[in-house]
Amino acid sequence: MVNRKMKTTFTVALTAAMALSVAACGNSNDNSKNNAASSAAPDKTNSGTATNTTKSDKKVTITFQNIYPDPTTPSYKMVHELSEQYEKEHPNVKIELDTLNTDQQKVKLKTQAASKEVPDITIVNPAAQMKPFVDAGLFAPLNDMLDQNGLKDTYQTGLLDYYSFDGNVYALPDGNNIEVVFYNKDLFAQAGIANTPTTFEEMLKDVKILKDKGITPLAIGEKDSWTGSFLFMNILLRTNGGPGFLQDVMDGKKTFEDPAFVEAVDAFQQLVQAGAFPDGATSIDANAGGNIFKSGKAAMWVIGSWETGAVDASSVAGKVGAFQFPTVNGKGDPNEFMLAPGSAFAVSANSEHLQETKDFLNFFASNLPKKQFELKNAVGLGQKVDGDLKAAGYSDLAITIAGLFNQVKGGDLSFDNTMNPATSQVHLSSIQNLFVQKMDSAAVAKEHQTAFEANK
Amino acid sequence: MKVLKVPARTIAVFVLPCLLLYVCLVFIPILVSLYTGLLKWDGLTSAQFVGFGNFKDMFFNDPVFWPSVRRTLLYAVASMLEIPLCLGMAILLNRYVRRGNTLVSIYFTPVILSVVIIGQLWKTVYNPASMGGMLNGVLISLGLDSWTHNWLTEPKIAMFALYFVSLWQFFGYHLLIQYTGVQNIPDELYEAAKIDGADGFKADRYITLPLIVPIFKISIVLAFIGSLQAFDLVMVMTAGGPAHATDVISTHMYNSSFMSLKYGYGSAIASFLVIVCLVFTGFINTIFNRIERKFN
Amino acid sequence: MRKFKKGIVYLLFAIPVVTQLYPLLWLVLYSLKTNEEIMDGSFFSFPKSFQWHNYSEAYTSGSYLKYLSNSVFVTGVTMICVIVLASMVAYAISRFRWKYGNIVMTIFLMGMMIPMQATLLPLMIIFKNIHVLNTHLSLILPYIAFSTPIAVFILSGFMRDIPHEIEESAFIDGASVYRIFRSIILPVSIPPVMTVCILTFINIWNEYILAATFISSEKLKTLPFGVYTFVSQYSVNYGNIGAFLVMGALPVILIYFFLSNKITKGMVAGAVKG
Repeated sequence: MVNRKMKTTFTVALTAAMALSVAACGNSNDNSKNNAASSAAPDKTNSGTATNTTKSDKKVTITFQNIYPDPTTPSYKMVHELSEQYEKEHPNVKIELDTLNTDQQKVKLKTQAASKEVPDITIVNPAAQMKPFVDAGLFAPLNDMLDQNGLKDTYQTGLLDYYSFDGNVYALPDGNNIEVVFYNKDLFAQAGIANTPTTFEEMLKDVKILKDKGITPLAIGEKDSWTGSFLFMNILLRTNGGPGFLQDVMDGKKTFEDPAFVEAVDAFQQLVQAGAFPDGATSIDANAGGNIFKSGKAAMWVIGSWETGAVDASSVAGKVGAFQFPTVNGKGDPNEFMLAPGSAFAVSANSEHLQETKDFLNFFASNLPKKQFELKNAVGLGQKVDGDLKAAGYSDLAITIAGLFNQVKGGDLSFDNTMNPATSQVHLSSIQNLFVQKMDSAAVAKEHQTAFEANK
Repeated sequence: MKVLKVPARTIAVFVLPCLLLYVCLVFIPILVSLYTGLLKWDGLTSAQFVGFGNFKDMFFNDPVFWPSVRRTLLYAVASMLEIPLCLGMAILLNRYVRRGNTLVSIYFTPVILSVVIIGQLWKTVYNPASMGGMLNGVLISLGLDSWTHNWLTEPKIAMFALYFVSLWQFFGYHLLIQYTGVQNIPDELYEAAKIDGADGFKADRYITLPLIVPIFKISIVLAFIGSLQAFDLVMVMTAGGPAHATDVISTHMYNSSFMSLKYGYGSAIASFLVIVCLVFTGFINTIFNRIERKFN
Repeated sequence: MRKFKKGIVYLLFAIPVVTQLYPLLWLVLYSLKTNEEIMDGSFFSFPKSFQWHNYSEAYTSGSYLKYLSNSVFVTGVTMICVIVLASMVAYAISRFRWKYGNIVMTIFLMGMMIPMQATLLPLMIIFKNIHVLNTHLSLILPYIAFSTPIAVFILSGFMRDIPHEIEESAFIDGASVYRIFRSIILPVSIPPVMTVCILTFINIWNEYILAATFISSEKLKTLPFGVYTFVSQYSVNYGNIGAFLVMGALPVILIYFFLSNKITKGMVAGAVKG
């Protein structure tokens, strides 16, 4: 499980390695050369590619379940282009893409897992969310493949820990993100707000100003209840005075009825009462909620940095900035962020072509950073990459956010990446409820605690 | 009535292929589900037999369960109440319109559309006025601002908004059944009644109603089963939210199994659903058999 | 007064025409608008200029033809099987003199109470063991199984009322049961068969959960999957989604309007004797 120690390593790693705009160190330089070589000429030297060539006569189909259905997004292009490239270089291998939207993929994978029929490559979320699958022995350890050509060293130090159990790495992340507040500079100017809020009180005040001007203050799509939880966890990170609240609860050092949690619920309810969210937020799904911001109808959006590319591709491109979530009641450090290590690619332990699948994933993961960089999707990459954002024509927003990455001092994982699924579901719906009715904060805390104890 | 006496082998040829397929793919799976309902199982790691533990949790410890049962039953009642209305329409159609089939076909169209389309459509109807929701827009233009609501997100209202969509969608379905039933009553009966001085609603009372009972029953049973299994529409429009305010039995089952990873518990809910369906359908059948006997 | 009453009644008939047909019109208009016009949310408005390119884009980016042909194949095979299998059972239940007829009927009727979602995982395990996962068979088989109850129900209701003289005379002439079934019973049962066709068609054509769970190969996926993924990609273009929805609904609507008069007739036939 993810523990505090891992988080510290991760923090260090972030500060050290997030220098996206800085050319990567010599080590990873070598790697990218290696990768380039192996992709261009698969039959040369490298041990990993050698196994490949010996089997090149065998026809193999690799099923690749993925969650990138939208043809206009960089991620979609990345998956398709890399798969095609690999097929071209390995005529005996066919990559069958099973493309689903996120929710459906979750259900499908669970059904498949229950009948022990996991696709060759699938997608899982880190830590607590992938643990049941690992415990069930469904995923193959990837250590050998990671060591094979130095792929492991391309990942930011500590990042792979979120996907490791008992010393084995079981999945390779597609990125590594933090949660930030995106804001629309034009709408802020229109409402006469000069500076971005640095305290929660200022944020509330801005919410009211924006609301009075008829602008939706905060975009959200709370039909997918994780969105509200994301925002809430930012507040909890502050009221707790730092990361580790959920870990403390799990270690039995705190309960959900701790003042920090109740205070966070209170603060969250203040936002709701101030009219921060769009009307009917709980019937809007996550994408549509994001669109409220991306179409210039909402002033702020609390979401992961993975949306940077999409914001830059939307109609508000160029008008958007980003800032850290403010302190709450004077507590917390703005440079502590909610951390969102990406969805990750895992390989089925029962795959009929385990070696071929690992070889492909190795190729895929090695080339992913370069491809993402080309596709202007390098913000929130989990791997080191050569290249200068500014020189490559990235937007100011992307550079701002890359800058925020450099300030990360620590943080927490999302609720459902930390707690077991049953407790998480209670939490998600409990937060969703705050959007539609005023609750006694202590009762909300108690509801959490009851669920936690019932599902230990 | 049953005239043909045929060898057992012939019966087997006629019945077995379908029956076997059906038993293997519908019956056995549901029996498996009944069994997994007795397990504490996340669908992944090894299961643990807990007997009726899941049912105990369901009945006594789950704050979501009973409200979702209540909503489901209310759903069923609302759908069943729609049917007399459909019958009334059907009688009027039969009396006033010569080629009623065309109208009925038009009424039927929502039934053939996929729930995805219907969900999208009604979401735009129910949206807040600020997002261009039609219903609120109409209310405001009528000066009824105080009647506007966030139809899909106010916990007390959302479920009724969903009931309404469902009633709207299946209006044509039940009307079709009732209409064909009414049409099927031989004209001679009405002509004979006319001679006896029974016309219009009087004829309906003494001829239509008694003869329509079996068809009325079919509609009721279909409406009941349909609303107990109502799933897609709720999923598309609210996914059971906000905060379970629109959860029905089937969405609660689905969320427990696949979102909370409590597969055994979800199966227990499924068992409950199937049992309720069986019991109530039996109940409805008995009532209607009584009514039919009374009429004959 | 009489005229007034009639007016009211006609108004009563007219209102549902508007409310029930409006969705189609709405959808078509939606599919022809620009993103801005749609986001505007004005419900009654016509698009300023028709965005036909929404259709060409949806067509090219959505693998429409592939999904369509898969759907046609799966639905077609399922319908043929349902009709053949269910009418055989219905015939046996309604016309043969045997002990277990009612029990078999009850078993089938109980199937109507079973929610498909509850069988997802058991089916997956069965299909894994008979190695049909990720083939069209993994859809066709459960579709047939879940469609038969209502089909048996409607068909047996109809067949019970076929005058038995026809059968008897054929029987005396030495025709086998199979022959009677094929050349007498099936032909007269066309109306309820039509009803079964349409009901089955509607259910299967729109089915999504099994399709998304059991099929992984892109080349085997059916139309509802295409529609659903298209819809879930909000960030693209609402007009494209609308266009794809229209294209997805078009086959059902066409078939329905060609056969709609038949369905009413068949429904009567089947429903008379429950």
